[in-house]
Amino acid sequence: MRTTIEGGPAFAYINVDLDPGETVIAESDAMSSMAADLNLVAKLNGGFFAGILKKFLGGESLFVNHFTNNTSEARRVTLVQSTPGNSREIQLNGQEYCLQPGAFIACTPDVNFGLKWAGIKSWFAREGLFKLTVSGHGTVWYGAYGGLLEKEVDGEYIVDTGHLVAYEPQMNLNIQLAGGLFGSLFGGEGFVSRLEGKGKIVIQTRSLSGLADWVNPMLH
Amino acid sequence: MNIMIRRDGEVNGPYPLEQVKDLIANGTLSPDEPACVEGSEQWMPVGELTGAPAAADVPPVIASEPVAAPAGDIETYTPTGHHEHEFRIECKPDYGYLTVQVPADQTLKVEAAAMATMTTNMQMKTKIGGGFTRMLSGESIFINEYTAQGGAGEIGIAPGSPGDMAHVHLGGSEEIYLQSSGYVASGMNVNLDWKWQGCRGFFSGESLILMRCTGQGDLWFNTYGAIIEIPVDGDYVVDTGYIVAFTGGLHYNVESVGGLKSLFFSGEGLVCRFRGQGKLWIQTRHPGAFANWTWPFRPPPPNND
Repeated sequence: MRTTIEGGPAFAYINVDLDPGETVIAESDAMSSMAADLNLVAKLNGGFFAGILKKFLGGESLFVNHFTNNTSEARRVTLVQSTPGNSREIQLNGQEYCLQPGAFIACTPDVNFGLKWAGIKSWFAREGLFKLTVSGHGTVWYGAYGGLLEKEVDGEYIVDTGHLVAYEPQMNLNIQLAGGLFGSLFGGEGFVSRLEGKGKIVIQTRSLSGLADWVNPMLH
Repeated sequence: MNIMIRRDGEVNGPYPLEQVKDLIANGTLSPDEPACVEGSEQWMPVGELTGAPAAADVPPVIASEPVAAPAGDIETYTPTGHHEHEFRIECKPDYGYLTVQVPADQTLKVEAAAMATMTTNMQMKTKIGGGFTRMLSGESIFINEYTAQGGAGEIGIAPGSPGDMAHVHLGGSEEIYLQSSGYVASGMNVNLDWKWQGCRGFFSGESLILMRCTGQGDLWFNTYGAIIEIPVDGDYVVDTGYIVAFTGGLHYNVESVGGLKSLFFSGEGLVCRFRGQGKLWIQTRHPGAFANWTWPFRPPPPNND
């Protein structure tokens, strides 16, 4: 399998060239184009109950598509995210990552999904009760609105909840107010995530709420 | 004719035409990779180039801009000239993102709701800035001040609109007029005054709220779309919606382009005529046009009865 991510950071897309016999699994609406003789099967996202949980709690779709190359030559499928912005890949060699709801685009077949309890505070911050985790061996593609920047955290770091795309789960994540009560209400920052520990995080350089705050005053 | 191929930013070649055709045929070379005839600077997809019979028949290509950077390739700007803070701007030009290093016990002013990341020792204080004039434009009347307590800190700032970001350093004597919604952040010794210029732009439905930035230190601003920096000497005309910032030495007048008729029918509305010597920054997209474009797709307001 050979993949390239092009069109970024504004409108990234992922070209996946599947060798004979290979499969890639993608979000149900991620395929934009593909070779006509690729085999497409829609499957429940990790079993019925796990699929239901992921849909309603993890922000992912109930079904995922399996694209399999049953021909004798390489075939291409092009995958995209639903928002403007950049896409990235994670190489998993046994480690685990937490992904923000909606960020997942595609993965290779040996990647496992899980849900992780994110806590009541996360729900108050409108980030959902659960976090989607990916683990195992293989490649995961994900994307978000804006550019994507990777950062090594060692110690403590604060990320606005709308900007955190992925992080390594050994890090402790706490949701708190950005400043005092006044500042958090009027300063527009609201809730932030406080990450503690050592690991990698990925942030998006734009947020949907930022876009809304920019465009809404013009729409009246 | 011999052909140069550009791959991953490096120019390779020259290769004989027949060899290039073979490479495309066996799939080693994708037909959309940029290429040009040896000695020329007219880059085009190699498939198009090799399809052409001879170099002389190749139609002139006006744009010789480099092809899109490979994904994940993020353009980063670090200051080369005067600056007060260490900083970098990443993900240029689509989603310019500012990271500033704040020395111990120093404070940075940041547009409300624009903070994306920060070290835990950054203390946020919310101050009223701009007041009434900013409220009229629907922007937040608050500005946040972030102080690095007990040691150096770092803050990452993401503006709301998609687009680029720029930096200017004020040396003390100059002043910059900045379109209010373009404000991103500034050092503590930069003074920000808001001026209401709404009446002048009234007919076009665009209110031009300008911030007068004086003092000393760094000032960052963002644009919707790309930024063009224009050195003005004499007269220069900009549609009011595209103005981002200009230096204080420029006089300006809001006027209609060609009388009342064109004001209503040409779609150009009011323009700003700059006069004098100085620098002007414009954005390549008009926020109001984005609003008009999305307007028909707004969901109907919820029914309250």
